[in-house]
Amino acid sequence: MTLVENLMINYVVISPTLSLLFTVIILLFCTITISTPMYIKKWVSFSGVLLTLFMVFLKFGLYSTDGISAYFSNMILSDPFSLVGNTLIAFILLFTFSSFWKTSELIESKTTEALILIFMSASGFMLMVDSENFIMLFIGLEIGSISLYALAGLNRGDQLSNEASLKYFLLGSLASCIFIYGIALLYVSLSIIGLYEINIAINYIGLNNVPLTSFIGIIFIIVGLLFKVAAAPFQAWAPDVYQGSPTGYVGYMAAVAKAASFIVLARLITVSLRFILDQFDLFFSAVVILSVLGGALFATNQSDLKRLIAYSGVIQSGFILSGISSGVFGVSASTFYLITYIIQLVGIFTVFSIISGQLSSDFQISNISGLFKENKFITITFAIFMLGLAGLPLTSGFVSKFILITNLWSYERYVLVSVLMLTTVAGFYFYLRPIWVAAVEKTENVVERILLKKSDKLLLSVLAALTIYFGLLPNTLVNITRWMVESYL
Amino acid sequence: MISILFSLLLVPLFSAMLIFIIPNSRKETFRPIGIAFSLITLTQCVYLLFGEYAKTEFKILSTFEWIQSYGINLHFGLSGISTLLLLLSSLLVFVSLLSIGKDHSESKGFVGSLLMLHFAINGVFISGDLISLFIFFEALLIPMYFLMGIWGGENRRYATIKFILYTVFGSVFIFIGTVYTAVISYGVNGKFSVDFETLSLLSLLESQSKTLFLLFTFGFLIKVPIFPLHTWLPDAHVEAPTAGSIMLAGVLLKVGAYGVFRVSIPFFTEGFLAYKNWIAILSVIGIIYGAIVAIAQIDIKKLIAYSSVSHMGFVMLGISAGGFLSIEGALIQMINHGITAGALFMLVGFIYERRHTRKISDFGGIKISMPRYAAIFLFTSFASIGLPGLNGFVGEFMILMGSYNSYKILTSFAAFGVVLAAIYMLWAYQRMFTGPIKYEENKNLSDLNSRETASVLPLLLLMLFIGVYPSYIESFVIKEAVILSDTIALFMELK
Repeated sequence: MTLVENLMINYVVISPTLSLLFTVIILLFCTITISTPMYIKKWVSFSGVLLTLFMVFLKFGLYSTDGISAYFSNMILSDPFSLVGNTLIAFILLFTFSSFWKTSELIESKTTEALILIFMSASGFMLMVDSENFIMLFIGLEIGSISLYALAGLNRGDQLSNEASLKYFLLGSLASCIFIYGIALLYVSLSIIGLYEINIAINYIGLNNVPLTSFIGIIFIIVGLLFKVAAAPFQAWAPDVYQGSPTGYVGYMAAVAKAASFIVLARLITVSLRFILDQFDLFFSAVVILSVLGGALFATNQSDLKRLIAYSGVIQSGFILSGISSGVFGVSASTFYLITYIIQLVGIFTVFSIISGQLSSDFQISNISGLFKENKFITITFAIFMLGLAGLPLTSGFVSKFILITNLWSYERYVLVSVLMLTTVAGFYFYLRPIWVAAVEKTENVVERILLKKSDKLLLSVLAALTIYFGLLPNTLVNITRWMVESYL
Repeated sequence: MISILFSLLLVPLFSAMLIFIIPNSRKETFRPIGIAFSLITLTQCVYLLFGEYAKTEFKILSTFEWIQSYGINLHFGLSGISTLLLLLSSLLVFVSLLSIGKDHSESKGFVGSLLMLHFAINGVFISGDLISLFIFFEALLIPMYFLMGIWGGENRRYATIKFILYTVFGSVFIFIGTVYTAVISYGVNGKFSVDFETLSLLSLLESQSKTLFLLFTFGFLIKVPIFPLHTWLPDAHVEAPTAGSIMLAGVLLKVGAYGVFRVSIPFFTEGFLAYKNWIAILSVIGIIYGAIVAIAQIDIKKLIAYSSVSHMGFVMLGISAGGFLSIEGALIQMINHGITAGALFMLVGFIYERRHTRKISDFGGIKISMPRYAAIFLFTSFASIGLPGLNGFVGEFMILMGSYNSYKILTSFAAFGVVLAAIYMLWAYQRMFTGPIKYEENKNLSDLNSRETASVLPLLLLMLFIGVYPSYIESFVIKEAVILSDTIALFMELK
């Protein structure tokens, strides 16, 4: 674990963020000048996404020459975590593009606004996974989150959407307060402001002399991040926000916040806390157990599909956190879990946005009753994603659970293993229920044939194929996640 | 040989996909295509029967890299009992495709699910490591879920969810056992490899062996099912469509017993020795309990379901007795029960299609309107009871004889199971077939047509063949039974 300090300004390292901001500026011009036709906006934003992907690719080149290094006066970091995080966020943008574009198109006169908010939030989260410094981390988190608050309430005519936005904003601000308070406490007690400095400072003064305030500070910072991933007991916003927000945006909102926060958390634990991780064992175990049990308890009797996925998100956050909080190999297993989960999550919300086809936030399980009759392809892909979430073999969900549990067992965290396995059994009950309603149950109800665009069909096929591919041949992705933590062993 | 091994997986998978691709306007082609592909698999299995691996212990033939950095590979191989079970499953898929009625055979999902089920079952029997075993063990659930959920009876939702949750609950223990074994294997070999060859060389502490035996066996015994864990089975059987019942009784129950035989006992023998008495006691309770409950049933399908509990109790008794003869008998009984229970469920399916009822009291005297059906049913019943000269006798006799050395009192009780079987099967036969015709509707029942006769005929021939020439089927399992009983004897001596 060496950090090459490089005070030089290097634009390549923040090029994904810059390219997203550049897209935002062009989109802004589109609004203030003469009314731009829709297709131009579409192509501008899509090229923005592709440009970002290309820039992420450039960052890999930079990493291969410089290695793990910091730029901009130790503000911005280029390491495997930031690369994985950037790639993940860029791919989330690419894969959710069709759903958020469709919804934005429907929200009249606010199309550009929505796109700007989405790209802003993506740039914020990109910055967040890149930052070495807690202040930068906070700025990135806020840019990302505030855009998401607005995005949740974009459908102003809908009361649920307003409620979602307000709730998200109020609870999110509280979490931000806790986060920045944690930074302040850490700074007061140890005079440090960087991720790498925590480790150095604690080594320097010795573990026994570390003031309690700094531990509280670290826990507050972690709590701020756990709020974003909706781990219990910080999950209260998730069901309402998922339910209320325009359906096309939820996939993006859920995936991007989870990806960025977990990557930052993973880095925090691998880089800063790895030698004092056992001090936080109780805290993390409590959060994991609360998340998986609470999530499973609430998910069993949900009648709203989006709320069901929200609570399943709470469970999955618990799973991911259990690995991250165990150690370096756990981080690699959890990253595998995170990536496969995000693929399934994005897939599910793509299906939802295709089915709902409108802005309505209402999405009851009974709405998809009889879906299979006329929409076979959609139902099959939906079933694959749900089975992936449940962790059935032949899907990536099984491999990720297997790797995670193997690592947890190696770390001798038997209590967590038993709780997680218990939740997996319960999971089969509520993950199979929507499939039952959509495909198995005999019903008079028929969901009309939905005309799938070629792009949507391709997208769903790619996501479903990835879910099965990583379930059959997980080697590549496991190697990538191993590579991510290799430099920190 | 390796190419046949993979085609056992790929042919059913490919045929299922083919069925899904064919448009619904050509729905009359579903059954012929399914039958053609299952015949291919059946032919391959028959070829395997004469191959070099049909009479050996489990040999890993092919390795397939899965997760490199954890050192986990997938292994596939063959042994005597695997070959027999593969043959049995292919045969049952073939005959159930032939036997199902028009509303099922012209449904894309039904035929496709059946072929997917075939894929998963074949996978279980050729798996050479714990992970691929677990993958296919769980993958069985999804086609079964659709078969029972979509084409099941009135109360199918309850039965399906019960079936899924029971099995998943059991497989969680297998999963944890697999992870535990992998971690132990990592401590010895430096990689998480759990293939059967590595496991047989792994030396475990007694406590580890006991824990692992309990974890694996609990999961497998739910699937068998053994006495207190059997409650999902009657519900599942009653609600499942005929083809689902045939596969469930014929092959899926064997997956549990196969798991105990293949994994729990050879690798965790110390644990087996510590707990074998309990398994034997539960098996005998299951034999007697299943038979007594079967007597009291008014639903013929439920009767056969409880008789399965009883017959599978014999299998578990034979395995847990651990002697050479009893293990051999248990393996043969697995095959025999697959054939007879499959045939019985198929026969019940035929009459259900005609009358849409399964209540015994709704029939009576139908021997007059359906003579051929009655003869076949009686023949199968005799096989199920264990009449000498038919297959049921061979397995149960060997089990009872082999177990008597280890468990004198238990085996004496188990022998009553055979008598009770005669009571429930023959009494049911008497109420359904003999006497005058009680109801008007039963007067004009059409006898089995040639398709239906053809689909049950292979099973009848096998019953007779195994019954009169048991040493042929014995020659396939003898080596494995010897090896396992030697292992058990070795560990007993060490103790």
